[in-house]
Amino acid sequence: MFDEIKKEYINLMNNEKLPYIKCKSCGNVFFYPRDYCPKCNSKNLEVKVSKGDGKVFSITKFQGKKGDTYYGIVEMDEGFRIYSNIKNSLEIGDKVTVEFIEENGRKIPIFKGLSGT
Amino acid sequence: MITGFAGLTYKKFEGSTFQLLSDVVYNAMEMASVNSNDIDGLFFTMLSGTFDGKANIHFPSFQIPAFLGIKPRYIDIVDYGGPSALTMVYRAEKLVNSGEIDTALCIVGGKGSFLRENKVTADSVDKFYNISLTPFDEFFRVYEDMNPVTDYALVAKRHQKLFGTTDEQRAMIAVNQRKNAINNEKSLYKSPLSVKDVISSRLVSDPLRLLEIVYPVDGFHAFIVSKHQRNSNLRPLKIHFYGEAHWAEMPPELPDIVYTPTIESSKGVSLEKIDAFELYDSFTITVLLEIEDIGLTEKGKGGKFVEEKDTTFKGEIPINTGGGSLNVGQPAFMSGGVILEEALSQLNGMAKGHQVEGANRVLVNGIGGWNRGHAVTMVLGE
Ligand SMILES: [Zn+2]
Repeated sequence: MFDEIKKEYINLMNNEKLPYIKCKSCGNVFFYPRDYCPKCNSKNLEVKVSKGDGKVFSITKFQGKKGDTYYGIVEMDEGFRIYSNIKNSLEIGDKVTVEFIEENGRKIPIFKGLSGT
Repeated sequence: MITGFAGLTYKKFEGSTFQLLSDVVYNAMEMASVNSNDIDGLFFTMLSGTFDGKANIHFPSFQIPAFLGIKPRYIDIVDYGGPSALTMVYRAEKLVNSGEIDTALCIVGGKGSFLRENKVTADSVDKFYNISLTPFDEFFRVYEDMNPVTDYALVAKRHQKLFGTTDEQRAMIAVNQRKNAINNEKSLYKSPLSVKDVISSRLVSDPLRLLEIVYPVDGFHAFIVSKHQRNSNLRPLKIHFYGEAHWAEMPPELPDIVYTPTIESSKGVSLEKIDAFELYDSFTITVLLEIEDIGLTEKGKGGKFVEEKDTTFKGEIPINTGGGSLNVGQPAFMSGGVILEEALSQLNGMAKGHQVEGANRVLVNGIGGWNRGHAVTMVLGE
């Protein structure tokens, strides 16, 4: 089941869609895949697709391999949060939208600011 | 009771990890006036890559006793980073009190230099050894980060945003700890430090700067817990309070990232009559969070607290009286041994040059594990 969810996640991402999991028993939403809802332990889970909009929960800048690199936690409108690289310099609370980049032969979500530089 | 302790830290130790380990263990046994035949309980912790550059050593529960020549009847591996040292001593004390064992040896440390020289941190050891760290690696380790620094930077950034905490306030923590470090013979850094020095040091991960971040060193700490006091001159210390909390969530799944499990591990502790606080200081922000989570001030007021209170060893609320690991260094990416050693030095009047006068009760708080997942709060006193 865990491997199936991971496969489904990667398939969705390769099609440029951001997956998340909703627990049908308690309504909990989360990103990092698991077989059981970490809140109520229900196995009644459903993989859904996010609209891709969210806002910066926190962000930091450091010198990465290609210069200024932004890393942060993004809170999606559906209510779940995800670690990600962010394309530009933003403030906490700024709106972002998902984009996909290719990394080691698969696509991964990163975020781009709707404001900022 | 704790009848012996020892710690040795080096910027870089040229010999093997086992050699360094035995030096420390034999120093601690000497203080406790026990020998390897007396040790019947063994507690240790180990972090990937910190034993002579190995991802792990094969069955350390075999290799460590074999090298030290001890034959334990009881072995416990405590693996949650920073607070492990505190937990080992606590569990050892319980087993000694119950009569299960007589004398326990607790070990924490290793060599950080090998990983440091290869630009690897405890949180990025996967990239070096090609091992998986979490069940979520393919959705999380694919990003470019600089953990653990970036992770704590996210906390510091959010703390700033939510509470208006300033860079200068965080810098005050480094400045006051340096004042404490100047006279500590174990300290690696002894030159005076100003707020300006801290905020003009290199920005490593916004907003955290170089002088707010712990330096990984080589070193071990060993603690002997025994029912025999023998020739040990240490005060018969008791554990007056012990609390432990573990938050397993990935930080994005926590209700917020500006809290640590200390809020839970310190529940019910009395802050009255505490003469010194040894708080885990992987970063300045870690200390700030603990100050709030222990309840020295309310959440969000930590910045103001460090601005207004004198936290040096001569001050009203002494914090990290030996300079903390920010100045002593962090052996094998875990500072638990450093803060526990300092607490024991204070309580035994052995803190030359940075002794808190009449230190009878010390609160030690450990934070550890990947992403602040664990906390242990302990109060030691006679
Ligand atoms: Zn649920």
